[in-house]
Amino acid sequence: MYKNYLKIAWRNLTRNKGYSAINIGGLALGMAVVILIGLWVLDEFTFNTTHKNHEKIAQIYNRGENLDTGEMGSFASTLYMMGSVIKENYTDYFEHVIRATWVGEYVLATNGESYTQTGQFIEKDALDMLSLDMIQGSHASLEDLNAVVLSESAALAIFGTENPIGKAITLNNEMDAVVKGIYKDLPKNNDFANVKFFANWNMVEANEPERFERIKTVWDDWSFQLYVQLRPNIDFETANQALRKLYTQYGPSNELDIFGQRNLHPFAYPMDKWHLYSEFDSQGMPTEGRITFVWLFVAIGVFVLFLACINFMNLSTARSEKRSKEVGIRKTVGSKKKQLVIQFLSESLLISALALVLAFVLVAVSLPWFNALAGKDMSIPWGNPIFWTMILTFTLLTGLLAGSYPALYLSSFTPIKVLKGTFKAGPYASVPRKVLVVFQFAVSIMLAVGTVIVFNQIEFTKDRPMGYDQNNLISVQMNNPEYNGKYEVLRNELMNTRVVEEMAQSSSPLTGVHSNGGGRISWKGKNPEMRPDFGILRISHDYGKTVGWEFVEGRDFSREFASDSSAIILNESAVKYMGLENPVGNFIEFGNDNRAEIIGVTKDMVMQSPYQPVKQAFFYMDYDRMNYIEIKLKPNVSASVAIAKIESVFNTVVPSAKFDYKFIDQEFASKFEAEQRLGNLAGVFTLLAIFISCLGLFGLASFVAEQRTKEIGVRKVLGASVLNLWKMLSKDFVILVLISCLIAIPIIYHFMGQWLQSYEYRMEISWYIFVIAIAGALAITLLTVSFQAIKAANVNPIKSLRTE
Amino acid sequence: MLLQLNGIFKWVQQGGQRVFLLKDINLEVEEGEFISIMGPSGSGKSTLLNVIGMLDDFDEGEYNFLDEPVHQLKEKHRANLYKQYIGFVFQAYHLIDELTVYENLEMPLLYKKLKGSDRKAMVADMLDRFGIVGKKDLFPTQLSGGQQQLVGVARALISKPKLILADEPTGNLNSKQSSEIMALFKELNDDGVTIIQATHSEQNAAYGKRIINLLDGRKV
Repeated sequence: MYKNYLKIAWRNLTRNKGYSAINIGGLALGMAVVILIGLWVLDEFTFNTTHKNHEKIAQIYNRGENLDTGEMGSFASTLYMMGSVIKENYTDYFEHVIRATWVGEYVLATNGESYTQTGQFIEKDALDMLSLDMIQGSHASLEDLNAVVLSESAALAIFGTENPIGKAITLNNEMDAVVKGIYKDLPKNNDFANVKFFANWNMVEANEPERFERIKTVWDDWSFQLYVQLRPNIDFETANQALRKLYTQYGPSNELDIFGQRNLHPFAYPMDKWHLYSEFDSQGMPTEGRITFVWLFVAIGVFVLFLACINFMNLSTARSEKRSKEVGIRKTVGSKKKQLVIQFLSESLLISALALVLAFVLVAVSLPWFNALAGKDMSIPWGNPIFWTMILTFTLLTGLLAGSYPALYLSSFTPIKVLKGTFKAGPYASVPRKVLVVFQFAVSIMLAVGTVIVFNQIEFTKDRPMGYDQNNLISVQMNNPEYNGKYEVLRNELMNTRVVEEMAQSSSPLTGVHSNGGGRISWKGKNPEMRPDFGILRISHDYGKTVGWEFVEGRDFSREFASDSSAIILNESAVKYMGLENPVGNFIEFGNDNRAEIIGVTKDMVMQSPYQPVKQAFFYMDYDRMNYIEIKLKPNVSASVAIAKIESVFNTVVPSAKFDYKFIDQEFASKFEAEQRLGNLAGVFTLLAIFISCLGLFGLASFVAEQRTKEIGVRKVLGASVLNLWKMLSKDFVILVLISCLIAIPIIYHFMGQWLQSYEYRMEISWYIFVIAIAGALAITLLTVSFQAIKAANVNPIKSLRTE
Repeated sequence: MLLQLNGIFKWVQQGGQRVFLLKDINLEVEEGEFISIMGPSGSGKSTLLNVIGMLDDFDEGEYNFLDEPVHQLKEKHRANLYKQYIGFVFQAYHLIDELTVYENLEMPLLYKKLKGSDRKAMVADMLDRFGIVGKKDLFPTQLSGGQQQLVGVARALISKPKLILADEPTGNLNSKQSSEIMALFKELNDDGVTIIQATHSEQNAAYGKRIINLLDGRKV
């Protein structure tokens, strides 16, 4: 029986090639989108699962009140002593307690060559906790106090084909280490993926002995990270319950007041939540984060597949008159309705199976490109039984979904009518079809408008006034002790190259604010209850000229005023924050009789998240604690020439430091990477959705043209022009698409309005986006439909009438 | 008795008026009869055949088929009845274009859930009996009209019905093909199959043992 069904199905497919191509192609495209999105979602959900113990690993966070705003917040930084306290007193709860520095860029030098690599100083058990796959060495390789383990890629970059084990290597020219092991690079969907080396924690302590001696008693240096692994029988709730009292039980008395005021307490934040649930609400509790995007893409995938299914339904029912005779015959020779339903369903299953094969071809071909677009490393898990179960279930569901309506519709024909030839789909038979087309286009329009708004928001933020000039600006991180005391020499040499317009030093890069604080700062008229919080930026004299900032009031630092060494400059936000009327000439107190005169107010510079308002910040001069050099290149010199000259100066003045520079505009652009990436993905899927909808429309238009062949013939004989006929055939579709617009626009306007609310710096949704959307939808519809309409209108009426 | 119609009426509403398609039809058919229904176009021949074949409803009257009261049966029960006992032959043959001759013949057997070997034997038998073994792998469109109707008759017969209903079986055929098909019907009737045919042609009607004339839905 099924053989017979499939045979009919197959012959129907091969006999109507165009129709089959649209059906299978459209469905395959929809399926390919779903598979790609599925792989992407799988990749997101398996983040960090390469670690064997991922379910038990956590990072210690602190939750506490921001006394200024009254909101609770959570942050990942910890104190040095927390590691010690937890190690000593919480052994029942944690299998591993591991201190680590923040991941940063370091210059690794060996044999006189130096290489920049990102890495982390971490305590020795990390290799075991993270269950790293060791190529050389073992999980004990980090035991030696000066041990370093490299990732395979870092080892290859630094040592080439040489065996690196036992080789000496220096970090930032100040720490001597020995390579003890090599581990396989972690996959991209891992929070440690960019860590290319792990170095023994002890080197950090040995490098700054006084600092570490001090913070063993004074708990004020929140500069470290702390990872833990729970014991197998301990769950997170138990562990967090125990951690809650850590400060009151073990904290030093001198800090306890403020800790208590802030209700500060540590908690273990599970590794499985790091990636997808990275945001904290105003109670400091983990909420959402990236997971919203994951669900968004799941929704897009479901929609796109649904669009493809609708094509299938519409084309099948549209062709029903052709199949109706078969239904009649089958019924008279003894088929039950149920058997016909099964027949048509098996037909749609065959089509969805064929579409699946094609979808796999599409996925295999587009995967490298999709990986680049998504910034991931996905592959089709051919050998995974779960994957296949999911794929087969999904194909089955697609087949059933797509086939259900046609199956029920076709099998319900009464044999007498269809065999007599009196069967004509009535005026209402096409209503469900029209509803589905409207739905299809409404979804496509919503996706399109949504994507456009996302891109507009990104562009809008990119065009935000920066408050400084990013052009021709490079920055160099001074990550080597050799820079100490060399700045003036560097400056003189560089200015002599004539490719440098101006240069300066600063404590933070232009794309971030590394230092915050100011709890003890006060000024005239300050509310005594307020605990102020500022971004703090230490700069050199020429900073302003280098970055090209603009003054609202007052003046820049100048070498002509010796008193400027104790002067400060505020940004506009700081003036508002402090509530100052006439800031210039006023003073700021730094406690203990230390005060500074406000000499100027600059326009806000966007240094942190471009989506957020600029934080209140102040600038002052301090040549001792600088981390970055900013250099403004002369605009009339080509960048490559300038960079080459600058590099040669650096190589002579600070030979052991690797000259490693970044263009500020590029660095800034990278802040948009995540949004841009998601926007691009959404854009691609939207285009596919529109394409699939058009495919369906094309098929439907060709069907309508065919169905009305006789009518067209008669009209033509009676004098209708091609233009008349084109209008007649296109009108129906245009109306449908206009209805779709009417449905789609209010819905998407509402949702995108809500989405924009999550950005402090956001654009207004303007009406012209919708006008463009409507115009675009109409243009695409007319293009799709006209091809068929004009073809039908041009047929010689003698021919079309003869077929009757 | 094979079937009995008592006072069958069938009508449609047209502009507030009843237009009768069948009017007070009384008919008794014994097994082994060969009946020709005659009458001009629109006289209700096809409608009567469809009512007998249970493909169409009627509005008034009683219909007993093999002592089952068809007018009281539910749709599903009725369908089972005609599937089991009635074979249809159509003017336009109504073969499935996507299936070969062999597959067209096999189809009713598939719905009866017969075993593969039985089906094979029965189809082979039928092909042999109608002399179309050589055509079994051709598609309907590759056959002449007469050959298509031959297949149509064979398909009606394959599930061994008690009654064959033929609606203008030769309407699309030339006279030679026509007489071949009619000869075949006669042969079948001689073998004991009951046949009711609707026809325009006096010549074809003469093959029947009894002729019923219809005019405007009424027996004359």
